[in-house]
Amino acid sequence: MRSTLKTSLAALAALALIPASAAAHTVKGTHTGSVTALTYYSSGTFHGAVDIGAGGRCNYWGAETGVVGSVYWAVTIRTSGVVCNGNGSGNQNEARHAWQSGWTFRQWHFIKTADSRNRTCDRCQVGNIGGTGNSTGPHAHLQQDKLGTKNTSWYKGYVSVGSAVTRAKTIGVLD
Amino acid sequence: MPRLCRSTRRAMGLLALTVCPLLPAAARASASDTPPALQAGACSVRGLMDDIRRGLHSGSASYQRYLRTLLREAAVTLPDAELRDAFSRETDPVMAEHLAAALVARSEREADLQAMDVVAQRALQDADPAIRAATLRAMRRTSALERTGDLYERMVRDDSPLVRQEAATNLIEDNARVYAGQYGPAADTAVAAAAASTDPAVTARILDNLSTEKVSAESTGRLVSLLRSDDANVRKAAVNALGGVPAEQMQGARESLLAMYREEKDANVRKALLQSVAQLGFQGAIPDLQRLRAMDPRLASEADAWIQVLGSGLQEWSLLLREKQRLQQAP
Repeated sequence: MRSTLKTSLAALAALALIPASAAAHTVKGTHTGSVTALTYYSSGTFHGAVDIGAGGRCNYWGAETGVVGSVYWAVTIRTSGVVCNGNGSGNQNEARHAWQSGWTFRQWHFIKTADSRNRTCDRCQVGNIGGTGNSTGPHAHLQQDKLGTKNTSWYKGYVSVGSAVTRAKTIGVLD
Repeated sequence: MPRLCRSTRRAMGLLALTVCPLLPAAARASASDTPPALQAGACSVRGLMDDIRRGLHSGSASYQRYLRTLLREAAVTLPDAELRDAFSRETDPVMAEHLAAALVARSEREADLQAMDVVAQRALQDADPAIRAATLRAMRRTSALERTGDLYERMVRDDSPLVRQEAATNLIEDNARVYAGQYGPAADTAVAAAAASTDPAVTARILDNLSTEKVSAESTGRLVSLLRSDDANVRKAAVNALGGVPAEQMQGARESLLAMYREEKDANVRKALLQSVAQLGFQGAIPDLQRLRAMDPRLASEADAWIQVLGSGLQEWSLLLREKQRLQQAP
């Protein structure tokens, strides 16, 4: 009985690996860490994105783009120095990809390195995990938005606050 | 490396279990009682290729896609020399495409930036058109437009129509899916290839499916020169493409299109001209459309529809297109 249950669960897990459509893009972990915030902060304030903490390690992990598949990344550097615990809202370094649908996927807060440049790649490093911008510690902020509205559905069911993250871990699926 | 292989085999085992509901009940029971035995093995290009060869006989497109993904993901850790060697020796187009995709994946993951060059060289030089087409497919939806120089200008002049069409598909899909139509150099590469092609069907297909909102002035010039093509489909596609050029090139494009309308005989091209003039001018195009309306009575209703839609004050091109469609569907 136990074996049957395990088999069923394994089969369901394997099915979950199959993308819903050919156009869908899986998002993997940007570094090793854990999920520290999702749609709402613990305070109840709306956040609408995935925060992946780095266990306090700053300028240590490479910040890898999370989208699986080759896409063009526009990298904006607003802070050149090493900042681990925030230097004010709007000063975050950003890597973003604009989809044809008008949605934009963003990754924030990394520290500038020689890799921080615009390019087309499949999961490449754009900096080191840090805390530039509005941040209380080193982490990666992953957000999908359009005309000021954040999509909170892409990561639902894939991660929860406290989930351990590696670069092999699926954080969500964009379509 | 052995860890990757064990996890790979485990993943394949899980995937295999998903087909269990298709088996008879008795078979399901025995399968669930005895989970598949995992066996450690050395991970190699040859081993993965053997798995793919077996997978090709499964008849399942999903399973084949899964194996292809598996090879691409594993490519980063595969020995580079072995992979290149296997690719250069492979003569089966299907297997060559898989190996080329693995090499391209190494390039895209920045594990080996030169790996794509090997694939591009074979796309240019292999004697078998099926291999040339397969290697082009392997470069689809990647950064190949930026990394392969004039590859696409040469591939759209290939002797094989299949290869020319695969090159066109890459140009279209890369611009749409990798760059979302927002990267000028990629759109410029596509326009240059379209202009270089000797196959009107390829030129028309590329231009009909390309976003030109970020193209350079040089590309706009190429599009204008294609307005003089002998092929009506090419002229129509060039007209469509000119309708979407960036703001700083709109005035020149508009003048070229208005001048062309007087000489153009083909009704479909003229219809496309009306649309592009509307797209370039929005409400400001109404006086031009009223002048053009008088030139061709066959297209009076089309010009009237555009004049009415542009007069509605809608500010988004997609909304204008939808409104025009709605007007022309109304009884």
